[in-house]
Amino acid sequence: MKDLKNIHFYEDLLEQANNQLVQQAKEEGKKAIGYTCFYVPEVLLNVGGAFSVRLRAPHTGSLDVSAYYMSSFICGYSRALVERAFEGGYNFLDMWAGTDTCQQMNRVVENVERFKLIDKPDMKFGFLDAPMKISDYGNKHYQTMIETEFFKHMKEIGCEITDESIRAAVKEHNEMCAIFEEISEMRKEANPRITSREFHILCLVSYACPTYLILPYLKETLEDLRNREADDKCPWRARFVVVGSELDDYVFTEIMESCNAYVVADRYCFGSMPGRKQIPLKDDEEALPQICRFYLEENMCPRFMSKDKINQRHDFAVEAAKEFNADGIIYEQAKFCDFWGYEKMLQSEMFKESSDIPVLQIDREYVISGSGQLRTRIQAFVESVEIKKIQGGAK
Amino acid sequence: MTDKEKGLGNLYTPVSGIYKHREWRGLKDTAYDYAKWCELWGILLKWALGHPVTNVKAIFRYRWMFSYLTVPGFYDRIMEGANGAALRASRNNMNTLAVSVTQLLDDLFEADMHLHKDSEAAKAAGEKILLVDELIPSLIFRGFPTLRTILQQQIPEYLPSLINCHSPDHYIAQSESYGLPADVCPLPSTELGIAIDDDYPLINAKCFVSCNMPCDGSIMTSALQDRRYNLPTFPLNIPLRWKNEETFEYAVNEVKAMIKFIEDHYDVKYDYNALREAVEIWNKQIEYRYEKWEFNRTNISPHTGSTLWLYSIFEHQVTCGLKESLENDEKVIKIVREQMDKGECPKTIRHRAVLWNTPANMYANFNTWILNCWGIDSVAEMIDFQGYDIIDTSSDEAMLRGVVKQIEGATMRVHTKGGIDVMMSDLWRKYEEFNGDMIIMFDQISCKGVGAINGYFEEEARKRGIPFVWVKQDLFETTSVSRRSMREDINNFMSLVMQEEPLDPSLVDFDDSECW
Repeated sequence: MKDLKNIHFYEDLLEQANNQLVQQAKEEGKKAIGYTCFYVPEVLLNVGGAFSVRLRAPHTGSLDVSAYYMSSFICGYSRALVERAFEGGYNFLDMWAGTDTCQQMNRVVENVERFKLIDKPDMKFGFLDAPMKISDYGNKHYQTMIETEFFKHMKEIGCEITDESIRAAVKEHNEMCAIFEEISEMRKEANPRITSREFHILCLVSYACPTYLILPYLKETLEDLRNREADDKCPWRARFVVVGSELDDYVFTEIMESCNAYVVADRYCFGSMPGRKQIPLKDDEEALPQICRFYLEENMCPRFMSKDKINQRHDFAVEAAKEFNADGIIYEQAKFCDFWGYEKMLQSEMFKESSDIPVLQIDREYVISGSGQLRTRIQAFVESVEIKKIQGGAK
Repeated sequence: MTDKEKGLGNLYTPVSGIYKHREWRGLKDTAYDYAKWCELWGILLKWALGHPVTNVKAIFRYRWMFSYLTVPGFYDRIMEGANGAALRASRNNMNTLAVSVTQLLDDLFEADMHLHKDSEAAKAAGEKILLVDELIPSLIFRGFPTLRTILQQQIPEYLPSLINCHSPDHYIAQSESYGLPADVCPLPSTELGIAIDDDYPLINAKCFVSCNMPCDGSIMTSALQDRRYNLPTFPLNIPLRWKNEETFEYAVNEVKAMIKFIEDHYDVKYDYNALREAVEIWNKQIEYRYEKWEFNRTNISPHTGSTLWLYSIFEHQVTCGLKESLENDEKVIKIVREQMDKGECPKTIRHRAVLWNTPANMYANFNTWILNCWGIDSVAEMIDFQGYDIIDTSSDEAMLRGVVKQIEGATMRVHTKGGIDVMMSDLWRKYEEFNGDMIIMFDQISCKGVGAINGYFEEEARKRGIPFVWVKQDLFETTSVSRRSMREDINNFMSLVMQEEPLDPSLVDFDDSECW
């Protein structure tokens, strides 16, 4: 297929956290707020003169410094963020919207704060405490935490937070999500006109750049895709749903593609499900509680411990596999991530009991490139589902 | 005889660590120790002969039951070298604990459907049992006086891990063979392994209360265990940033919702008068604890070490608000007061150490070893400081809120969650308050919440000029870090950094790899 018009520009944007569009927004006087987790409602960081950047550490090399400060049993993403912060890679930030949702990520923000790794006298840090199940009082608690830990600091750095400004941010966010929803539908095609690598890149730039600046480019890409035609011969031998933990490196999807495996649905941190789903807002209720409710109800982090949420996560994967006509599901876990270590085991067990969908469990390092082991495992999984197809699905 | 030939290390049979003979502590103390040792046997025999058939069946049914047969050896290990008040307080604490545990075993086995298949009596007994996660302190459940609260994982998992360090090995292997990564904390991993092995007593309870304490691994193991128990479950969600006042209302609402859930399932009404009675006892238990800490700030430090923190954990989680436990506290406080009045310290103390982070269950007698080998007294230990505020009983609401604070201060959780300052500032405070002269920091290798701030601890200690030693351990697992290697960390620090000679050279290095 012909290259997408903006794809090389997008690749450039992913080369560093402080990318060209982030710099442009800063020059325009906007305030940069870093975050790492879906528990932080992204849309609320794009309110009243602020913009969100979901933090990554591209081109991570040695993790020696962070291994000293954090021990070597900490997940690679956490260590890479601390290492990058030591290198000054996040000095462009005005605020870090932290979460005490995963203990390792919480410690990342605490290390950055305590060691003053972002060398700015008025740098702000917030720490969100979020519930692990759904309830009315839980929603209220979540809202209070956002107001006291995030909005308070955002106001201090000059952001204007009103119901109107929140609704404006949701409108812009929904515009972006609508683009993703339409592109995502293209992945259902038997011979999709977008590659999974391209989709992963689009998704990553939408998290790593200010929404208002990336939006025009994404609109162009959508138009480009509407008119694009897939090659005559479909290169994909198998279609998979990928579910799992933090995954901000599209090299993972490149490895999948090198095995002729196509990612039809991406339910992982930095993926489009549920992060690129439109937020419905009613006019007769304030925007903030509605957004909080949305982020808790849609959230599929394994940290949610109630049975209804465990089943929701399972059902979502099953439905995604059916809807996107997948041949199997891959549960991926960032090495040393406790939540996904347990979750991939739990969900695989549930799949064994409830359906015939083949499931592969993998763990991986933060830096994926050159992982021959990962390639071998995916290749073997592709072959196993192919054999299954040849045998007519017989076990 | 040389010092090495006279030392306590000569008591052990190599590798197995079994004592060749009982320890000589001087005539009076040896006699006291022997009498209390006989008392322990009395407690155990009374239990064993109470329901001999059921108990024998339990030993064959449950792998973890074997560990309870080794209790006398465990008691001897954790009291090694103790004299005077330390010995007396230890023996009383531990024998009280033995009475409680044997009672728990009786209650559990009476209702266990694994041991009494299709038994109507066991079924009916199960209906009176409230199963809760072991990290939820029992005080809140005293408001259900007609229900017997049992901390689900405590008997099969937590206590055996202390008594016999090899007890968790099989269960951890079960979890890992099931697909759980080996880097997760062995505590939730063992809990899960027991569930996979179907080694929890099968109780006909009406519901289960799980919780998100102390850490991420526990959150996740709760979800998996939940599937095994197959009971209506209330996942109690205690805020992680619990020091932040903004989060407290959520905790209160959660506890109220939990009470409502239990009321609905058991068709009982929460009894605030029963709770008040228990809280008043608990307040006295706490006052005695304050007094003990005050004593340990002096040069006499009459009762320190594992028999102190083990009892504290048990009291905070299980026997909080119970008369029997208070009676023991009254007895023990008298003993330590007497020691203070004498003004003598019956142990050789060279250093006053503050031990921080979660101690290693698989080496519960680490405290006695550092004292006997190097003269390092554990004058303050993180695990000994759970939520210990006096609870206001002036109104039902005030009392409930106080109990919620006590839950927020659950074992381990009280320090490992709530932000970096919770664990860090308290360490420097305790170091000052207890007149410490060194810090022993446990590096529990699979604890990611604490591991991720290792560097900060080290830098802050360096800034303050405090002698600071890391001791690597893996909580329940001797296969990843052995007890011998924990000793090696201390030996290297004491000989190379502190440039000291051991008090008892026979204890410096020995093989106890097969010891319980």
